[in-house]
Amino acid sequence: MTDNVRHPASVELLINGITVHAEPQMTIVEAAWAGSVPRVTGVGCLEGVCGSCRILVKKGKEVNVALACETFVEAGMEALFLPAPGTDRHQYELTELADGWDIQARFHEIFPEASRCRHCNGCVQSCPKGIVVEDGVALAAAGRFREAGEAFFECVMCELCDNACPENIAPAHVGLFSRRITAFFHLRPPNLIHKLEEIRKEQAAKKDLP
Amino acid sequence: MKRGLSLQAALAAYRPDTELAPLPELNDPDTLLNEHHPDHLRGSMTKLTIGPNAGADCQRELADLLQAEAFIDEADLAGAQVTDTDVLVIGGGGAGCAAALAAAESGARVLLATKLRLGDSNTVMAEGGIQAAIEPDDSAQQHMQDTLRAGHHAGDPALVAAMVGDGPEVIRWLIHQGMQFDQTASGDLRTRRAGGMTAPRIVHCRDYTGLEMMRVLREAVKQHRGIEVWDQSPVVELLSNERGQKCVGAVLASLSDGSMRIVRTRSVILATGGLGRLHLNGFPTSNHIGATGDGLVLAYRMGAHLCDLDSFQYHPTGLVHPPHLSGKLVTEGVRAAGALLLNGQGQRFVDELQPRDIVCAAIIRECREGRGIHTDNGGVGVWLDTPRLECSQPGMLEQQFPKLLARTHHVGIDPRREPILVYPTLHYQNGGIVIDVNGTTSVPGLYAAGEVAGGIHGRNRIMGNALLDIIGFGRRAGRAAALAEHDRGPKKITLEHVNRARRALTLAGLPLTQRAPQILPAYTAVGKDIWKP
Repeated sequence: MTDNVRHPASVELLINGITVHAEPQMTIVEAAWAGSVPRVTGVGCLEGVCGSCRILVKKGKEVNVALACETFVEAGMEALFLPAPGTDRHQYELTELADGWDIQARFHEIFPEASRCRHCNGCVQSCPKGIVVEDGVALAAAGRFREAGEAFFECVMCELCDNACPENIAPAHVGLFSRRITAFFHLRPPNLIHKLEEIRKEQAAKKDLP
Repeated sequence: MKRGLSLQAALAAYRPDTELAPLPELNDPDTLLNEHHPDHLRGSMTKLTIGPNAGADCQRELADLLQAEAFIDEADLAGAQVTDTDVLVIGGGGAGCAAALAAAESGARVLLATKLRLGDSNTVMAEGGIQAAIEPDDSAQQHMQDTLRAGHHAGDPALVAAMVGDGPEVIRWLIHQGMQFDQTASGDLRTRRAGGMTAPRIVHCRDYTGLEMMRVLREAVKQHRGIEVWDQSPVVELLSNERGQKCVGAVLASLSDGSMRIVRTRSVILATGGLGRLHLNGFPTSNHIGATGDGLVLAYRMGAHLCDLDSFQYHPTGLVHPPHLSGKLVTEGVRAAGALLLNGQGQRFVDELQPRDIVCAAIIRECREGRGIHTDNGGVGVWLDTPRLECSQPGMLEQQFPKLLARTHHVGIDPRREPILVYPTLHYQNGGIVIDVNGTTSVPGLYAAGEVAGGIHGRNRIMGNALLDIIGFGRRAGRAAALAEHDRGPKKITLEHVNRARRALTLAGLPLTQRAPQILPAYTAVGKDIWKP
């Protein structure tokens, strides 16, 4: 192995306003730690599924958001770790949605902003998982919850789309709502139900024994 | 370690249609484990000298933390804000959320405190699935036998019986919370058979089972009016009564402003997870950044009995390459779906669906004996033959393992064309705090659930039992903690147990210099700075 491979030229970038020298194959998280950037605790799984390491990235004139554990360093890049998302404003408990027939009405009560999408594409551009967020929200607003939920399948709840939305739709929560009610109302697997019924009968028989 | 092939040479020699020699027979699994499993590395074990497990075997790096000084003493508590609640849940992963929801459903006021963000946990990274005996040719008894056998009969049969019995109801409860699972065309839950199982029993949500579970539980907890959540609030110490014999609360630090807060409660549930980020024996880990074993340290200082502190799971298929994903997992589901393991000579060396400890030891043997594949930056591993799987079942990787493809895609690796280089990675703490079927520990007022608790998986866990364990025992602990009797009379909160532990350390002549819990890990990929040779 040559010295050149072992010590590749370092890359200079800014993380949280601090100049950091990193190896080219590092992610922003690794560069932040290697460069001793203080107070970087918004990091979780390091494999792009927990959605915690939210950053604002500036490359040249282009500004976007991303996940730091999946973003590789580039010379001249600026990265800023974002605080965790706040509590969602949209409150609901599944058990209070007892009737599947009025679910579209209830959805619009809980997420009144969802039908006000102005198709600015901000949520789509901000999604680190390549989800076509706007289409997913439109499906949910049309009451097509199963398809909407499927559109959000790879959503890691980083809620970067929420930051991007001028109408405060909270798209990630719209997607999760769609997925949850699909399971809550429609997932009724016969093999599981049959097993639960067997167990219930067994327990009932045990109780009947003297 | 003998040097095998280089990655480039192995890739050049690889063909997905090479004829394979028959699998050599595994005659003596115990010798294989003794010679090659990391639990048996020389110098890896020591004996504890203080505390309830004094005299027991314990992994060396963990022993240092269990026998360390606390961070705080009485002076730190002066002026700290005090909050009262019925049940304090420590930990925001799957077990903590299940416990909080169950306690709230039982009518308790619940405070859930978590070190990082709610849901930042190993749960969110779980891929393969969750076990539940739901198929017609399967039974709870069979599930129990598989669990005990794979754990080398070291598990507590009462705990295992409770867990497997909960299986179908746990799945129903998860669906009720809004979690989706893969279905067959007729609407049945799709099941897989993985290592050490006698029937297909793993239900899953493609290879994102943990993510699907965690985002649903996180939302359920946040939306629940009976649960308050404190993010960025690691626990630095538990609180005891004036005799140091009952847990009556905890001290929480704030990562955002550094302040200390006291929580007074009638029950504390520890759901702090595992310790992969301690990088035991220098191994990379599949674990979340918060997995530093804090719960074990706090429980031990409080006087709780622990078990199997010398037994850890190294998952056979951790990624070796690319370096930033070192130690990250390739789900066992890929092997369950039919992928083979091949050494540097392109040959099979172990039945891929043996329990994880056997497969792990076999991979380490191949690499030590010069049949591994070496990368330029010092990594070594064997092939997980995904292209052969793709050839036999085209499209299957894309349909069932989107996470695997997504993670490797953005670094330019396509597992459908190139095999994946894998090596064992520190994955799971088999032992932990001793509990009964209600999550009760040997300390009154203190409960434990999830990976921090022990006794269920014996000395080796099989796939899909972790997610079942955390939900099943999380709910059991939550219910028991909520229904625990109120203490009458004045509530005194002290650090008497800390003083007792300090006396024991001094008497044993142990240094008081190391402090624990660790809370935040060494921020590097394998415990040392991997970027410097």
